[in-house]
Amino acid sequence: MVKRKLGALEKVEADLPNLQHKIRRDPKSYIEDFRAQHYQYESHREIYMAAPSSATDTGLISLRDLIDFISHVADCYPGICKDFPQQLIDMLMQHHLVLETELREKLVGSLVLLKKKDLLDSATLLHTLFPILISTPSKTLRALLFQKILSELRTANSKTTNHKLNRTMQTVLFNLVTSDRTSAKGLWAIKITRELWKRQIWTEAKAVEVMKEAALSQNEKVIIGGVRFFLGGDKEREELEDEDSEEEVNVGQVKHQLTINKKTRKKARTAEKAIKAVRNKERKKGNPSPLNFSALHLLHDPQGFAENMFFKHLQNGKSNLKLEQKLQVLQLVSRLVGLHKLHIMPLYSYFQKFLTPRQPSVTSFLASLAQASHDLVPPDVLEPLVQKIANEFVSEASAGEVATAGLNAIREICVRQPLAIEETLLQDLVMYKKSKDKGVMMASKGLLSLYRDVGAQMLKKRDRGKEAAMSLRAGERQERRYGEQAVGEIEGLELLAKWKDEERRKKNIENGLPSDAEDNEEENDEADWAAWNVEDDEDSDVDGEWINVEDDADIVLSDSEDEGKPASKKAKQEEEDKKEADKEIDFMKLATTRILTPADLAKLTELRAQAAANATLPGNKGRVAAPWTSRHTDDPLTAGEIEGLAALSAAKATREERIAHAREGKTDRSEHMSKEARRKERKEEQGKSTTNKEKARKKNFLMTLGKARSKNKRSLVETRAVLRAHVDRGKRGGRRGNVGQ
Amino acid sequence: MGSSSKRKKDKQKDFQKPKLKVGKTKAKPDNYTDTSFKSKSIVLTQQSLHLAAPTSNATFTHNLSLLSAKSDSQRRDSLAYLTTSISSRPVNSPLPQPVSVILPSLLPLILDGATSVRTQLLKLLRTLPPGDVEDHVAQLLPYVRAGMTHLAADIRSSAVEILSWMVEAAGESTVSCAGGWIKTLNCFLSVLGWHTEESSQWSSSRASFGKSGSQGKPMVKTLGALAMFLDAGIGKPSVDGVDSEMSGEDESPDWPFPLCQTAQHMISDSSTPFAYLNLFGKPRDEEGEMYETREDRYRVFSTRFQPAIERGIKSAREEGGELGRASSGVSKVLKEAIAYGPGP
Repeated sequence: MVKRKLGALEKVEADLPNLQHKIRRDPKSYIEDFRAQHYQYESHREIYMAAPSSATDTGLISLRDLIDFISHVADCYPGICKDFPQQLIDMLMQHHLVLETELREKLVGSLVLLKKKDLLDSATLLHTLFPILISTPSKTLRALLFQKILSELRTANSKTTNHKLNRTMQTVLFNLVTSDRTSAKGLWAIKITRELWKRQIWTEAKAVEVMKEAALSQNEKVIIGGVRFFLGGDKEREELEDEDSEEEVNVGQVKHQLTINKKTRKKARTAEKAIKAVRNKERKKGNPSPLNFSALHLLHDPQGFAENMFFKHLQNGKSNLKLEQKLQVLQLVSRLVGLHKLHIMPLYSYFQKFLTPRQPSVTSFLASLAQASHDLVPPDVLEPLVQKIANEFVSEASAGEVATAGLNAIREICVRQPLAIEETLLQDLVMYKKSKDKGVMMASKGLLSLYRDVGAQMLKKRDRGKEAAMSLRAGERQERRYGEQAVGEIEGLELLAKWKDEERRKKNIENGLPSDAEDNEEENDEADWAAWNVEDDEDSDVDGEWINVEDDADIVLSDSEDEGKPASKKAKQEEEDKKEADKEIDFMKLATTRILTPADLAKLTELRAQAAANATLPGNKGRVAAPWTSRHTDDPLTAGEIEGLAALSAAKATREERIAHAREGKTDRSEHMSKEARRKERKEEQGKSTTNKEKARKKNFLMTLGKARSKNKRSLVETRAVLRAHVDRGKRGGRRGNVGQ
Repeated sequence: MGSSSKRKKDKQKDFQKPKLKVGKTKAKPDNYTDTSFKSKSIVLTQQSLHLAAPTSNATFTHNLSLLSAKSDSQRRDSLAYLTTSISSRPVNSPLPQPVSVILPSLLPLILDGATSVRTQLLKLLRTLPPGDVEDHVAQLLPYVRAGMTHLAADIRSSAVEILSWMVEAAGESTVSCAGGWIKTLNCFLSVLGWHTEESSQWSSSRASFGKSGSQGKPMVKTLGALAMFLDAGIGKPSVDGVDSEMSGEDESPDWPFPLCQTAQHMISDSSTPFAYLNLFGKPRDEEGEMYETREDRYRVFSTRFQPAIERGIKSAREEGGELGRASSGVSKVLKEAIAYGPGP
């Protein structure tokens, strides 16, 4: 009999990977072998479980290999392996403290694999992994588990939101945080929640509730983790979203490369993937973007939460937070107060003792104070604070930065509650506009222009400016009383009204009617209803980046401070003002008497964008919205803003700082390259080749040396021949010649 | 080809004769390696130097520790030493170390990759006194079962040999210890490939995986072991066994007349009399349960294994040859057991 030839792999005594491969191809034939391996696993497990801590390596095959093998092929034999996941879970849960690291990691990996093969549901998996995550002392295992838990939650939510799983997991996290408030274990709840929040997998109130409980815990790490989430979680989320949308694949380029480069299966696959990604993205673009409320808005009981935070971590003498941490808590509390217009009266008296220039990081305190003030705070609570800031910070003797910070803080408070300052104090502070220090001057001017807007009658007459003075005289601008609310309106509605008016006028002119004539409403209405939907071409027009910008915006550099204007003009102005007042009522009518069609709304957004673009033109400098009006209510006020232009008032900036400051607005030096150089750079970036000329120019000097030398040694005859050849070549049209033409 | 003057000079340098000077040390060659070293202290590893030779007990312990050595020849030699020292000890003297100390280091060797180690191991096991083995069967069995289902055929066959030794030495405790009956029978079925109807047919392409054993006729050996195992488990109780069982009921020669059934109230002979209560272990499932009486074992056997084994025997007989002859041994045991029925 001929000796049977053995395959290379069969020679190995115990080759589980080979068996695994064969089972994958033909599970039915190898069932006996698998059964044997399963018994093998069972006996190894028995051996192992008898003494998990002192287990020795058993010969050729370790339990680890067997677990790996079985978990890879378990889906082929569901009957034999029905207890397998549970056994792994038991092993991990009971002995994770004593198991050797490699086996432990293999167990975790195998469980995840079994979940992937649907032999285990994700709830069970998470209920197994999570308790170990918070109890194990091993750092590597924790890192592994954390990563696995996160990826599990992500995959579970990848197709559709798995509400059930999310809810159970959130409950587990909530219980973890609330069960033992002194332990640092809540940190894991924070880490997981924050990560999932960032990836927009969890966007519900329940996740916020977990963080809220974390912020109210007694462990400082947990507290700060929770507070940080509220202060920065949403920003993080936005950034991640931006990052995701940034990475773009150029499909055209990929396709082009595919035609040129060597065709491999891998390249084809990458191209396919890129095309798919782009297609997906396009589909996503069409979808309405999911509503993502910020965490601060999803809080259930902001008043209670803010009060709890304040009394527990700030007012409480026993709380052992450091100043930095306290500041963060304070930031959160004040932000909540400002955002939800809460009333925590002790908060303001709490600020009192921190408002001195010698207090470390006082600008943060000032920012928090400003954040905590809103128009429903009683002015008599804020008044002493403003007074104190003015006394402590703003004086001729104090340094420029200090005064700037004080003035900025007062301005920020007064933006939110204009009644917080007394008339005399305001007039005093406004006097600083003549200060030599630029920072102080700017800050003071900021305060001045604010009060021209919101309470011109409190200013001295000569400070009021033209517009404010005139509107005061006309009596249309009145002091806002405490608690008075502005009438709600649709942003940009007056633009729409104006546009409609113009359109009608145009139509009337076309029809030969006087431009002011009222056309019959019905007809107009009908036309409007006909244009209910946004037409496609119109839509694309809106989507496109093109916005009409007034090209003849008259550039008027009028200083609003100068007052001397001819009386006749004044009268005219008044008339105009009156007209404007009429218009105001008019456009409100638009909103109250008619239903705005989608077409109207589309036009409205377009007009708004146009107006915003116009506002940035240099000609409209005066009309640029003040910085405090452009702020979104969700954005925090930072210490940097309070410091404001303190950099300007700092006389002793170092040279580097000055250079950096000078360079700030300027473009990069490299942008001033020649066209040729820039072209070359771009080519190099794209990995394109160079021309022959460039190659010749770059050629190593030593390589050219030989030829140059030999040229010197040429005889006259040779030189002649070469020159002739050159002329001849020129006539022919290069080396190849113009033969075909 | 170096054309530059620099390279030419470099080349020239190689062929220049080094100049030697009187009174100066010779220049070191280019490829000189500095092997000198400095050290602040010299550490001597601890040595145990004795004038007297180590006692036999000490060498025994030393060799026991060498069983986990990396090289297989070392392991084999240690095993050989242990074997000779056990077998050559004076009659009726105790072992140099108790079995409970020796066994833990022997167990992993059941799954050892080297054949020579395993054969030597079997020799060593055979020298152990059977009475001492009886208490440690429960420890041995998982390793033997792991060996029986090992991918390597050699390990499988040697594990079967060890099992047959166990049945010889301590048959009753082998079949009655926890997991000893069902799990071991399962392993037998898997070694023989008798689990399903399909795979037990001789014509079926037995796609057995792994290296086929170098020592031939593993099936024959396995069938022999199975016969012994079944005999120990469900065979007709021998006359001695009946006698000892009945001894409690009949008047026993050890206890005088007024004492009856006293043996039941005395301290038990076995080392773990209450093992069946499983006070400290994990809860057992059906397969891991202890089946202490023949009746229990027979019940389990008839419901779970009888059809498969009968089917397997039949096909083995049909195959004929040595295998068929070996199968007749099993069928004989089986017939007797069935004839005896579930018990008296």
